[in-house]
Amino acid sequence: MISPSEELSKKILEKLVAEVLITADDAKKMSSRMAAGKLRADDWKLAIEKGSPGGAKT
Amino acid sequence: MNKAPKNLTIQHLRGSVMPFKLPFEKGKKLMVIYGENGTGKTTICDAFDFIGNGKVGSLENRGLGKTGRYWPSVGKKPADVAVTLETVAASCRATIGKPDVTVSPLEHRPRVELLRRGQILALVEAKPADRYAAISRFVDVSGIEASEASLRELIRETEKWHEVAMARVHENREMIVQFWESAGKPGKDSVVWAESEAMRDDDAFDSEISSINSLYISYSRLLDYPEQIKSAEELLKVAADSLVTAQSELDSCLNRVAADAAEMVNILESAKTYLEMNPSPSACPLCESAEKTQGLADRVSERINAFAELRIAKASKIACEQAVQKSTQQLELLRDSARKHAAEFEECRARHAWPKDVVLPSITVPDITELSPWLTKHANLPNEWKKAENLRQDKKQFLVTLKKATKTCADNTSALKAVNIMLPRLKRALEISEQERRHFTDVTLGKIATEVGRLYEMVHPGEGLDKISLALDPDKRASLEIGASFCGQTGAPPQAYFSDSHLDTLGLCVFLALAALDKPEETILVLDDVLASVDEPHVDRLIEMLYAEAIIFRHCIITTHYRPWKYKLRWGWLKSGQCQFVELAKWSNQAGISIIRTVPDVQRLKDLLAEEPPDPQLICSKAGYILEAALNFLTLLYECSTPRKLEDRYTIGDLLPSISKKLRQSLRVEVLIGENGMGEPIYDTVSLTPILDELTRIAEARNVYGAHFKELSFELLDNEALAFGNQVSILMGILTDSDGCWPRNSDSGEYWATSGGTRRLHPLKRPA
Repeated sequence: MISPSEELSKKILEKLVAEVLITADDAKKMSSRMAAGKLRADDWKLAIEKGSPGGAKT
Repeated sequence: MNKAPKNLTIQHLRGSVMPFKLPFEKGKKLMVIYGENGTGKTTICDAFDFIGNGKVGSLENRGLGKTGRYWPSVGKKPADVAVTLETVAASCRATIGKPDVTVSPLEHRPRVELLRRGQILALVEAKPADRYAAISRFVDVSGIEASEASLRELIRETEKWHEVAMARVHENREMIVQFWESAGKPGKDSVVWAESEAMRDDDAFDSEISSINSLYISYSRLLDYPEQIKSAEELLKVAADSLVTAQSELDSCLNRVAADAAEMVNILESAKTYLEMNPSPSACPLCESAEKTQGLADRVSERINAFAELRIAKASKIACEQAVQKSTQQLELLRDSARKHAAEFEECRARHAWPKDVVLPSITVPDITELSPWLTKHANLPNEWKKAENLRQDKKQFLVTLKKATKTCADNTSALKAVNIMLPRLKRALEISEQERRHFTDVTLGKIATEVGRLYEMVHPGEGLDKISLALDPDKRASLEIGASFCGQTGAPPQAYFSDSHLDTLGLCVFLALAALDKPEETILVLDDVLASVDEPHVDRLIEMLYAEAIIFRHCIITTHYRPWKYKLRWGWLKSGQCQFVELAKWSNQAGISIIRTVPDVQRLKDLLAEEPPDPQLICSKAGYILEAALNFLTLLYECSTPRKLEDRYTIGDLLPSISKKLRQSLRVEVLIGENGMGEPIYDTVSLTPILDELTRIAEARNVYGAHFKELSFELLDNEALAFGNQVSILMGILTDSDGCWPRNSDSGEYWATSGGTRRLHPLKRPA
């Protein structure tokens, strides 16, 4: 049985991709780590930066 | 792979003192195991618990501590215990290993969800945290929450950085304004000006500073020449004067000694040299006279001394001549050097296009003899040039600082812009995650609650208690609240308002709803005596609900000691199409658990009719018993008028006449006989009228043969009794199906149907 976290992570990442907040490639990479609770602040930062149309950097 | 169970064999586990085999009927997914207390129902449930979950749950929470030593039957060892589940495709065996139950092969281990009577209220009455633990496998998204917390932390950090970036940009702009103001506020906007200034090349200042410095240095080189030349000229004059004095002294000395004194000194010094080598000559080396040779050397030395003053004067003059020559040379060198440096200054002056603030000498450097007044005239210029140089140094430093400030401002503005883009995106990502998580949890809990409510409504229809709610406590971690609607109050804790029977039903419904969520098609559902406290009016509906829900599971086993269930099943008053009924005999220490072969009454009648020779008394007795049941069913279904009796004992004589002529003529049954090529059912319509008419005619046979001892029976033929038995058997064969199901379902609105539509009884209503 797929865990609730795994199921939910797919739904969240699909939404993030649909709103162009992250790339589809990053969504694939993030899925298992997100479900396992291992997604850190830097992972989020990099993914959101890469998802930005202009690739904004802070 | 076909995982339908075929046999469960229990060896020496708990009550199975002898190996016990429980056979499963093919095609039936529900097994009802009936047995009085102490027949081994719980041991069968324990066997499923043992092979599926590696434990014997019935012994837990009884103050026994570790229960392993009580698992084997009395007198048996752990190694004697084995439970084997044989399916159509494979077989799986569980034994007691060390330290846990060993199952082989593991891949065929069945999933078992087991609910015992004592646990039925566990979920309802549990503390919210324990209730959450039971449900967490469906709603636990702690991994997502942890990842979400990281995102939240990032947003906090980014917000802090945003504030810092804003403050820095503000500071940078204030600094630029100060620069702008100090530069006299050129242009309209400080930032535009600063950016324009920052484009300038600060090397231009270096070039001017270098030129001014060259001018300064070349001018400085000239400054010492007048003094140096003057000193050199004075030295020359002193030397010249000394020479004149020395010449004068020499002349005077010469006059004093002799005109040829000089030549004489030379002769005497030569003689002295000769006499030093020949101290006692016999004759004068000059005149060769032998006279006065004695003491000649001494006399020569005396005469030489007389000429010493002259020699000194002569040496002094020579020294003065040399000093004059040297001073003259030095003076010329100084003048040459001054001329050269003056030329260099002019060259430097001519090499650059000097800005206005760099003042130059009004005239070129004059002849060296006029250098001193020229220098005096322009003595202020070096200071002016220094000022000009310092001014450029300041301008350069200003530009460098301005450039740095502008760049810092641009960098920070750029960073702020990036944060302004990033921050809303991070916040939106968090918003999405939170929304989806809440939605997911709400939907999952809502699904479970709806399912619980649906099941509950099947048992307690119309009681308005179906609005079950499950909600996570937002203020507590992993805490689940359960609520129900009660007298218009929603979210009321059911434990506070529900009866014990209602709570039991609710507990069972919660268990079933959860079990159905997780791979039900692979799960063997075991319900151990869960009907015990359900009150009579709800038992039938609860059983119907269990029938309906059992089909989604791999298999469902229900144990019960509820006696009416046994009889209702035997009489087909409950849906039993998918149900296998197993009755357990009384347990004994010698036989252990055993099964009673229960023969339904209709089958028993058929068996009696088939016996040779037939027993008319037994046939009539059984047939009468069955006919009463059939007439009871029909008169209740059509609400026929029947004389009321105190003890509710109606006989054939009461029931058969109450089926009116009109009703009797309209009673007909569509009997399913197969399917056509399109898969549609084909029915054969049979009227009940001739059967009921015939039964009316020969019903007395039951009283004569089957009810009481009567001499009248001696006079009747056995065929009458057999005919009565046959007519009842025919009636039952038409009215009920092979599983003993009665047509009780009126959902069609046209007829009464059995489960699966094997029989359709017309009409729906008694004709007026």
